[in-house]
Amino acid sequence: MGTNVDLSVRIGTNVFANPVGVASGTFGYGGEYGGLVDFSDIGAIYTKAVTLEPRGGNPAPRLVETPSGILNSIGLANVGVEKFISDKLPFLKSLPCAVVVNVAGSTEDEYLRVIERLESVDASDVNGNGTVSTVNLSGLLRRFAPRNDRHCERSEAIQIIDNGSIDTGGVNNNGSGVFGYEINVSCPNVNHGGLAFGTDPAQIERLTSSLRRLTKKPLIIKLTPNVTDIATIAKAAESGGADAVSLINTLVGMVIDVKTRKPVLGAKTGGLSGPAVRPVGVALTYRVKRAVSIPVIGMGGITCADDALQYILAGASAVQIGTANFINPRTAGLVSAGIREYCVNNGVSSLKDICGIVE
Amino acid sequence: MEPPTQFTSRMIANGQIAEGFYELSLAWEPGVAPIPAPGQFLTVRIGSGAVPLLRRPFAFAGFDAASSVVTIIYQKRGAGTELLSAKRAGEPIDVIGPLGTPFAVRDTRIDTDNNVVYNKYAACINPQKHIIAAGGIGVGPMLFLASSLKARGIPARFVFGCRNQSFIPSVKTFADANPQICTDDGGAGFRGTVADYVNANMSLDINTTVYACGPLPMLRSVNEIARTAGAKCLVSLEAVMACGVGACMGCAVPVAGGGYSRVCKEGPVFDGKDILWERM
Repeated sequence: MGTNVDLSVRIGTNVFANPVGVASGTFGYGGEYGGLVDFSDIGAIYTKAVTLEPRGGNPAPRLVETPSGILNSIGLANVGVEKFISDKLPFLKSLPCAVVVNVAGSTEDEYLRVIERLESVDASDVNGNGTVSTVNLSGLLRRFAPRNDRHCERSEAIQIIDNGSIDTGGVNNNGSGVFGYEINVSCPNVNHGGLAFGTDPAQIERLTSSLRRLTKKPLIIKLTPNVTDIATIAKAAESGGADAVSLINTLVGMVIDVKTRKPVLGAKTGGLSGPAVRPVGVALTYRVKRAVSIPVIGMGGITCADDALQYILAGASAVQIGTANFINPRTAGLVSAGIREYCVNNGVSSLKDICGIVE
Repeated sequence: MEPPTQFTSRMIANGQIAEGFYELSLAWEPGVAPIPAPGQFLTVRIGSGAVPLLRRPFAFAGFDAASSVVTIIYQKRGAGTELLSAKRAGEPIDVIGPLGTPFAVRDTRIDTDNNVVYNKYAACINPQKHIIAAGGIGVGPMLFLASSLKARGIPARFVFGCRNQSFIPSVKTFADANPQICTDDGGAGFRGTVADYVNANMSLDINTTVYACGPLPMLRSVNEIARTAGAKCLVSLEAVMACGVGACMGCAVPVAGGGYSRVCKEGPVFDGKDILWERM
């Protein structure tokens, strides 16, 4: 049996070579994991949410471990779009994986202005030949020069060249650094984090169509499970012109310390993620797949290839790894390798052939 | 700062050193993992199941360059550390480190006698007096700091406090630090807290640096005493962490002047003056 398996996924005008990404909020702006992952193993980095102005985030504590999960209340802490462009984007653009910028806002205008700003940078930055700029990554990446380490068998994809910068081997994000945008209309942790949009089909459709007019890049609308009928919301995103929907964002939860009789988290409630929510994510992926014809990107509690395959069989065209990055930063690479192995072992030549085949 | 490494280490020893306190030593991968400095930490994956789900962070309690062995000192206080305490020598353990900003600015040279050479400590440029204050399980990173200062010929006073004498660690590095012991019940050493002892028995001035790690009330008091005397106070903080590398913003603490800093990245060592203590 051949080992050629087509794992590519088309999202609007663009194509993921590898369907396994790392979810927004769990991988920072990429550089935080320098030295710990081989970025060529990752299909896409979905950045920490970017807002128009910097945000400090919610009061501490922001995290608590729960049964098979974690509850977080970060509150969209981020550097803001200007600092993102000046400090974070150059590194992200140098990586041999797709970069999807996650965008959040309090008002429709804020979303539009962030996308406008990011588009203006891209327009001035396309170098037209499909190459990407390199930055000096010697400190971060030299660990992945081939060596005798079982974790790094596939490290040859990043080639260290002698001046310490990297050659990304022609892999690029359409020559402009940003593959597309994931629109966070589903953060449960801030009063003005877009959840107002994410729970109202009319607002979702209007926001999506406004954003659509600003960019030709893939627009992925990230949905919340904290609604009565997620399919209605997904359809609204599709009607507005979204290229894909991604789901699920976290489920609202609370943990109370019975000694102090107070919520453990500074913001009282938080968003639940991790293996505990996986069955919810799989079920909602199954439901949404049957409601829309655009691709569904599934996430929620994926820790291994079998978990990801559940999402794919339910209807996900691509997946994201979230909480599991905290357990093992290399999870995305292991999951995509495992998906490939599953396909080879089961005579599947293209991942599309098994997407949503569960009846 | 060199980026951290993830590798499979091997447990060398894991034994009880006080009531509920354990010392674990594990092999550090020479040439692969950067040399840890006092104040830095590692994370370990304990077990392979859902409990505990997240990796657990532990401050380095020592590093022996000759044998390339690191130690941590931890307290059994939850499901994760319960599992960890049951692990035995020879078992593999998934490690990421070194992480965080250390007390020291590090020079990763190892000299001809296999000693790790540290260059200037951020806080040690002028002060003549160094006080290391450790409370309870906060003793780990303080022992590493004490041995590093000693190796550089910098004299320091080591003050350790705990509830009663059953919590006094029986390890050589502790004895080597020549500690002033304080117990809440007076069963050993000074009766009272570390902060009480420092306040009553030590003269602090602008030429003093106090290094502190321990429970939040202790850090708050020690910082207050040091700052009132015009001394510098460097504290090593503890927080629940998810990523440990600065990505998730989960371990953030409020800082003076507004906003938050990450315990895992800007910390765990902070200048006490930079922490917004009233919101901790």
